[in-house]
Amino acid sequence: MSSTTSAGQYVEFGIGAENYAIPISEVHEIIRMQDITEIPSGPPYVKGIFNLRGRIVPVIGLRRLFGLPEEEPDKATRIVVLNHADEYVGIVVDRVNQVVAIGDVQSPPDRIGGLSGALFAGIGITSSGLVGILKLDEVLLRD
Amino acid sequence: MLRLEREGASDSGIQRLFRAAHTLKGSSAAMGFAKINELTHEMEHLLDRARNGELRVSADMTDLFFRCLDGLKRLQAEIVGGRPERSDIGSLVRELREFAAQANPGANSRDGSGAGAGAAASDEAGAAEEADPFRAAPEEAWRDLRAAASAGRPAFKLRVRLADACEMKTVRAYLIDVQIRGIGAVVWSDLEEARAAGEERGEFAWLLTADGSAEALKERVAGILDVEEAFVAPAESAALPARAGEESGGAEARGEEKERQEERAEGDAAAGAAAKPRSQTIRVQVDRLEHLMNLVGELVIDQTRMQQVQKLFRQQLGSDDKVEALTALTDHLTRTIGELQQSVMKVRMLPVDQLFNRFPRMVRDTARALGKEVELVIEGKDTELDRTIIDEIGDPITHLIRNALDHGLEAPEDRIQAGKPRKGTLRIGAVHEDNQVVLSVEDDGAGIRADRIRSSAVAKGIVSSEEAAKLSGPEAVRLIFRPGFSTASQVSEISGRGVGMDIVRTEIERMNGTIEIDTEAGRGTRFLIRLPLTLAIITGLLVSAADREFILPMSSVAEIVRTEAASIRTVNGSPIARIRDQIVPIVWLHDLLGLPKRRETRKQLPLVIVGRMENRLALAVDELVGNQEVVIKSLGSFIGQSEGISGATILGTGKVALILDTADLLRMAGRIH
Repeated sequence: MSSTTSAGQYVEFGIGAENYAIPISEVHEIIRMQDITEIPSGPPYVKGIFNLRGRIVPVIGLRRLFGLPEEEPDKATRIVVLNHADEYVGIVVDRVNQVVAIGDVQSPPDRIGGLSGALFAGIGITSSGLVGILKLDEVLLRD
Repeated sequence: MLRLEREGASDSGIQRLFRAAHTLKGSSAAMGFAKINELTHEMEHLLDRARNGELRVSADMTDLFFRCLDGLKRLQAEIVGGRPERSDIGSLVRELREFAAQANPGANSRDGSGAGAGAAASDEAGAAEEADPFRAAPEEAWRDLRAAASAGRPAFKLRVRLADACEMKTVRAYLIDVQIRGIGAVVWSDLEEARAAGEERGEFAWLLTADGSAEALKERVAGILDVEEAFVAPAESAALPARAGEESGGAEARGEEKERQEERAEGDAAAGAAAKPRSQTIRVQVDRLEHLMNLVGELVIDQTRMQQVQKLFRQQLGSDDKVEALTALTDHLTRTIGELQQSVMKVRMLPVDQLFNRFPRMVRDTARALGKEVELVIEGKDTELDRTIIDEIGDPITHLIRNALDHGLEAPEDRIQAGKPRKGTLRIGAVHEDNQVVLSVEDDGAGIRADRIRSSAVAKGIVSSEEAAKLSGPEAVRLIFRPGFSTASQVSEISGRGVGMDIVRTEIERMNGTIEIDTEAGRGTRFLIRLPLTLAIITGLLVSAADREFILPMSSVAEIVRTEAASIRTVNGSPIARIRDQIVPIVWLHDLLGLPKRRETRKQLPLVIVGRMENRLALAVDELVGNQEVVIKSLGSFIGQSEGISGATILGTGKVALILDTADLLRMAGRIH
């Protein structure tokens, strides 16, 4: 997502009070919360692994990265399964809002609400207001 | 070829390339692929001269070779694609010839003709140099043949090339010999000579008389098992054995060289008639096999789930007709999937020869560098292993071999003093045992002396002197597998590559294998490595701890016991169990993994004993759930290496269970105690 002008389809989701977006081309599927097997000595941002139709897929939580306390999953909790760098990775989100076209993507400022701007590919405006478009390369390898 | 591409222009590279070109030339001639044959012939020629130092390998030359390789690949692709040898190789051949000519103006050592004709001329010379197996035949044999011929019995020269895939060619040749003797009267063959020389060759020659035509004989011989191709020539003009083939019609017996030209002249018909029907093998891309294995893995998982569901049905509905039908179905599925799994596993198997064939050279070079004399004996090279295991076991075995040469075998003088033959023996073997493969590396060197290991381990602070004193001989020897231990007083170039025996052990244990040492001072040392047949599917023991389920590879489980929780004693505050007169420390699995303790405690505490010999551990778990076949799946690069965990699997319930890495667990337990 280097382009900052062309209109693209995004999946918009919320974590805590904020809304974020990921290009729909990166999203493989969105599923309900699964039975996740923790990895005792795994990296802290990895919540564990789960069985996606016979495939073992890691799940990461973004709350830590965004400085939010962990929360028990509820009915709205979803796993957004991304197909990133030829591997499936799930991220746990509090809710999935909508699929939106964002036409005008602005370059991210240095900091967005206490988070490093490096985590974002840009800022877009949707019906929910401002959403940060996540830069997956950064977000997935953080912590 | 790939190796050649990588290694470029080293001397051994040229040598290998030369041999590769030669082999290709031979087999393409045998199969009637004239263009490949022609191209490889020119390549071989040029390489031969580079090999003999007549030509320097230049970037241009390598470049040209790469283009030739491309050309060969193209030709090969065309043959595979059913369009035999469409592309034009004329320019490549020309370039090769020009290269040979210009790089060596007028200095062709084989004949005095001009540079331009050099290539073609020495081509002829090369042909004459091709060994004529019939030259070795004694004069009496020829006399007999001539006598037979003049008596009206047709005499033939027969050459047989065995199939490349055929093992123990000399033995095969003897069996073929028996059949040939059933066809005609053999006056001479070079079998004895080959056997006496002890060389493994793929071609043998006979002189014989037989009824019928050369063609008929050729056909009958070509029909014998393992005969790749037969060359038959009438032997009536055999007065001049060395040049005998030239005047004769039909196929001839002088060498591949002439063979090629004739085949071109006669078209492919003759070669086609004698060549065996294509062998019943196909080459498959590795990732397709991997995919197949993954699919089978998923089936295995589904099948375990299915069995679980079937059990539930039975529990709930009792045994009514529908449940019975389901039971029959799941039973059949289980069997079929089991067989499918076996078959797919077999497809992934390769003979361990793939690995072993790199050792002779390495052993020779290493021994020479160390000033030692060694005879390498390789046994069981046909034993088949999963290709991933072959890939991964290479380094550990190489390390053991280097160790055996460096520390095991003595110098020739020392051996003579010890009353042993001057030449040491190194045996490398592979054999199947039950569901395992056992690899061995054995030397008849000095052996490992337990007392030395003890003092060395104490000096390095690996064990205290009291601990060392308590260890039995074999236990002390196993200290070499401890991290930080290296028997060599100085780091040598051969085995001192910073890789110790502990790494060897770790790598083997990662593959769910084990390694044992058997040593006797003065007599030698033997390492036995036991490995599962495949890395993809293992039998696992399902245990639960902290309300989670884990898999322990059955191969690393030594014993399972239940003990009264109340009866556990402690030594220095650490709980211990007494297993067959051995004190084994107890560690709770949830503690090791840093998981919360389960609330209730039971009276009976299941203990899973893992590890071997002195390095044992009793893992206390909440429950033993059972054992089952599990498909190993990696955690993926996202999670990477995780301490104590070697992978994951999907259980019958659909839940993911982690597969524990017992070697890691033992290490982690060592830190707690």
